[in-house]
Amino acid sequence: MAIEQTIKKQSYRKKNRIFEGLYPFGSILPAAIIVLLFTIYPLIYAVRVSFYKNILTQPNSHPFIGLKNFSDVITSYYFKTSLINTSIYTLVVVAGVIVFGLVVATLLNTKIRSVGVLKIIILLPWAIPAVVAGLMWKWVLNSDFGILNSLLYSFGIIKSYIPFLGDPILARIALIIADIWKEGPLAAIFILSGLQLIPTELNEAARIDGGNGLSIFRHITLPLLRPILMVVLVYETMTAILTFDIVYVMTGGGPGDATSLLSWFAYAEIFKFLNLGGGVALAIIIALITLLLIILYLLALRTEDTVSGG
Amino acid sequence: MSRKAMDLTKSVLSNLLVVLLIIFIAGPFIWVISASFQGESDLLKKPASIIPLNPIIDNYRYVFTGQIPESYLSKGQLRSRISQEARLIGPALKNSFTVAIIVLFINLLFATPAAYAFARLRWKFRGLFYNFFLGSRLLPAMAIAIPYYIIIKSLALIDTKLALILIDSALTIPFSIWFLTLYISNIPRDMEEAGLVDGGNNFQVLVYVVLPMIIPALVAASAFAFMTAYNEFLFANFLTKTIASHTVPVVISSISGNPDVSYSLISVCISLACVPPIILAITMRKWLTEGLSTTITFR
Repeated sequence: MAIEQTIKKQSYRKKNRIFEGLYPFGSILPAAIIVLLFTIYPLIYAVRVSFYKNILTQPNSHPFIGLKNFSDVITSYYFKTSLINTSIYTLVVVAGVIVFGLVVATLLNTKIRSVGVLKIIILLPWAIPAVVAGLMWKWVLNSDFGILNSLLYSFGIIKSYIPFLGDPILARIALIIADIWKEGPLAAIFILSGLQLIPTELNEAARIDGGNGLSIFRHITLPLLRPILMVVLVYETMTAILTFDIVYVMTGGGPGDATSLLSWFAYAEIFKFLNLGGGVALAIIIALITLLLIILYLLALRTEDTVSGG
Repeated sequence: MSRKAMDLTKSVLSNLLVVLLIIFIAGPFIWVISASFQGESDLLKKPASIIPLNPIIDNYRYVFTGQIPESYLSKGQLRSRISQEARLIGPALKNSFTVAIIVLFINLLFATPAAYAFARLRWKFRGLFYNFFLGSRLLPAMAIAIPYYIIIKSLALIDTKLALILIDSALTIPFSIWFLTLYISNIPRDMEEAGLVDGGNNFQVLVYVVLPMIIPALVAASAFAFMTAYNEFLFANFLTKTIASHTVPVVISSISGNPDVSYSLISVCISLACVPPIILAITMRKWLTEGLSTTITFR
């Protein structure tokens, strides 16, 4: 009897151990299947296709051409243009989003009375589709009835309507402003959550010691916010480099090629010029640039940690 | 300047800045909503007015019932600017909503147990799988667009909502796993250990002990998944062919690309498209902030 029970208990334990051992795999299985389905094959396909000549209008001719797609892309006029466009765009947008985020978060963290309204509406631009955001700005800036033109005209600031999206420089500025509008709110909420963690005593102590607003911000707030600013920096850089939807509806890469960013160029290469090999090669180049930037950021963060002794 | 005067100036300047920010954030919304209540002839006046001078609801009535607004009938040359396409926004909203809600539940169902396994359990290949999920988001969208098409075609799912549900799930699950893993790693362990000592297995501990503690994170992750699915444009744009599966961004970009459509009608479509995200953003704001702050501010 006693022996039987022990055996039973042991086999139960064994079963239990197997269950425990397999449990983690079972936990991730459904998620892993979905993600694997849309990762492994597309990855292999993309890498493969980038080494072949693959023009969609010539379905029967796919010779292996090695790295020629990559070299063709890199030496093309559009690559240089869109790389310069994207670099400037990313730099300005990321800087703009972080400044916007810092300003809004600082205001949201105060007890100013009008802040209540800002708090309620701040997440709206982030929540709507980028396509919709792009169109809204296109409507605001429209050269026939856009409200910005109407307001400037009513106040007598301009004599005739300005085609904002028809001018290369203005179109670039418009795109940057629309993107800061769309991306800034999330950064603000991120930074706000960091600000709320800074003990108020710290600020008060600094004030008593004679610090003014700016020096407190520089020497207390900014260093304590660094980890969160890093998250925002990485996330916003990735988002900015990959910007596509908003360009698609707002400017279509134009006027000319003024707002042709890398992703737009990759899209046009595949879906307009039907050069699959070249477009995918470009997409891979974009991914590598993004990856490189993220690694650089993380390395910078690590060195800073070591320097500051953290 | 005296201390008092300085404080006053500061307060005035801060309030002014807040008001400017409110105008900047809300401006485009207000203009589009205002335009949706104006007739085409009012909109094309120079200068157009931000306050509708002759407010009409005809544009909305047309989108929902197909009744052509009078103002369009009277002006012959504007007649063509009525586009049937605008009437697709209703079904598109329904499609988007269905897809986004299902993606939300798939995320909760699949990402939560995975996140718990990553955050708490010690097992072989843990790091490998975790990095696989995170790394999957680095795939460039343009490079995988065509292979996605091939996969969906071989599954015979072109122009179905199921195709979008699968793809949007694959796009959102990695983020949900990352987010929930961080959140779970940051909550104290004592309760779970008590549960395990009491004889509960990992699954029971997850359901009865961990779930109630991570509700803010679950709400935030749900909102993120919903919005990503609702907003996704690139893949939806070429995997859907008809209104059977067209989503809001696809319909909106298609309408706005039509040179014949009236500005008022596009404004109606844009306004309607904003309703679900606006409701979500306003009601979920506290949860989102709380979920985000707990997740990103601890290490």
